[in-house]
Amino acid sequence: MIQVENITKKYGNFIAVKNINFEIEEGEIVGFLGPNGAGKSTTMNMITGFIEPTSGRIIVDGYDISKKPLRAKKQIGYMPEGVPLYSDLTVKEFVTYMAELKGVDKKEKKEKVKQALEETGLTDVQNKLNKNLSRGYKQRVSMAGALVGDPKVIILDEPTVGLDPKQVTEIRALIKNLGKNHTIILSSHILSEVSQICNKVIIINKGEIVAIDTPQNLEKKVIKDNSVYVTVEDTENKMETIKNKLENATEVKLVAENEDKTKKYVISTDQDIDLRKNIFDVFAKEGITIFEMKKADATLEDAFMELINPSEEQPKKEEGGKA
Amino acid sequence: MWAVFKKEFKSYFLSPIGYVVIGIFLFVFSLFFYILVPQSGSVDLGSLYYYTALYGLMIIAPILTMRMFAEERKTGTEQLLLTSPTSMISVVLGKFLAALSVIIITLLVSFIYFFIVCYFGKPNITSVLAQMLGFILVSSAALAIGMFASSITENQIIAGIITIAFLIMSLFIENLSSIFSSLVIMNFYQKFPTGVISLSEIVGLLSFTGMFIAFTIMVMQRRKLVK
Repeated sequence: MIQVENITKKYGNFIAVKNINFEIEEGEIVGFLGPNGAGKSTTMNMITGFIEPTSGRIIVDGYDISKKPLRAKKQIGYMPEGVPLYSDLTVKEFVTYMAELKGVDKKEKKEKVKQALEETGLTDVQNKLNKNLSRGYKQRVSMAGALVGDPKVIILDEPTVGLDPKQVTEIRALIKNLGKNHTIILSSHILSEVSQICNKVIIINKGEIVAIDTPQNLEKKVIKDNSVYVTVEDTENKMETIKNKLENATEVKLVAENEDKTKKYVISTDQDIDLRKNIFDVFAKEGITIFEMKKADATLEDAFMELINPSEEQPKKEEGGKA
Repeated sequence: MWAVFKKEFKSYFLSPIGYVVIGIFLFVFSLFFYILVPQSGSVDLGSLYYYTALYGLMIIAPILTMRMFAEERKTGTEQLLLTSPTSMISVVLGKFLAALSVIIITLLVSFIYFFIVCYFGKPNITSVLAQMLGFILVSSAALAIGMFASSITENQIIAGIITIAFLIMSLFIENLSSIFSSLVIMNFYQKFPTGVISLSEIVGLLSFTGMFIAFTIMVMQRRKLVK
């Protein structure tokens, strides 16, 4: 659907985006992830044809955005960062204008506008002026503007920034729903969001792609830690000697003593195995009651931190080992 | 193009701008009508249109044009416009024609003066129409400059000041050197006020307008390279 080939964008001597390549298939929901100033918006702006790459080319649905801009742009609905809206238009007028700019057929226009308003839940406020809307609604209006006319690709630049938690959930649900019929590219610096919504993540840092993968694979990549956290009631103080009975365990360490006399331990291993079954069996035999058992899991957050900043991640890992 | 035209035209009247422009225009018209027409004792409206163009456009052209691209750039709506499958030419022409339409509306209102002098004498309708045609053309030229100014900055005030400066400067720049005489749009509005449709003036004004429209399109198309 979208091919990005060797794209570089320079501003004078500053290189905003450095030779990036990726491909997006039809129907994918792709998340751009990166810290502020990583080049997310620049990349999106290049895909939408708002800015021209210094070198390289971008193909949208078979059309080169630089050579056949009108054809390529027709396939794209774009919600820019900061949700710019024409403040003196009403919601409906704005969405209608967007439909007209996209060249939606006159006969279909009314129907398409209505559909976009319904999909984004704006029917009730359609006659309000954009300037009188709350931030969450503005976001939706901008989204309605992007999806009116059924473009094949919808690009959303930071769609959930500045929203309250309820609005965030609503917008995410909306994006997921849109993903059924559209290819979606969204950018975010909220990792949990991307892992929830997207089926592919592109992590950018300092203008370069550091990883392209599914959220699950990215998490797996950084889970090297097979430690298990257990909270136990240990009336006979057997935990001190338990290490010898647990195969493969290299260390058993007390982490916390809770008020209800349960204790939290971390059991680590240097091998790539899951200790949990073993722990369960051994503890049961020893008469230690397990209140809670949890594998130390790396989240996408860890993956992200490690990918964008490998050197900084090192001390954190050691700390985890000691604990 | 019509989508942009429709929206821009509507915006003039959703904000006070359209009404302010028509108000100023009619005020200037009335002022010159009061000063010029009863004094000369003639029913000729040529000088009325001439002086309104000379002084009125200095205020009206910047008001109509300063927002055009500067505001879109500032608020970011430019991104919506430039990423939509609409060509730059139709965006620029749509905006230009919307501004011109506001001027045409005021000209229609200015028929009042024609009817007033009708009461006292027999004004020549064809010469009034010629004066109006000239007025539309000279306004186009002023609007084209304003639009160009708006496309090169994101600050409306600066866009407005550039336009005003250009129009004020054209009042006396010829005194510096006659080289600049073709930059003075009022030089192409000399025969129209007498009711004469002059081909050289039409060509002059149209090419002036066309040049600045082309400049605007060029600036906007270059935006994606420098942004």
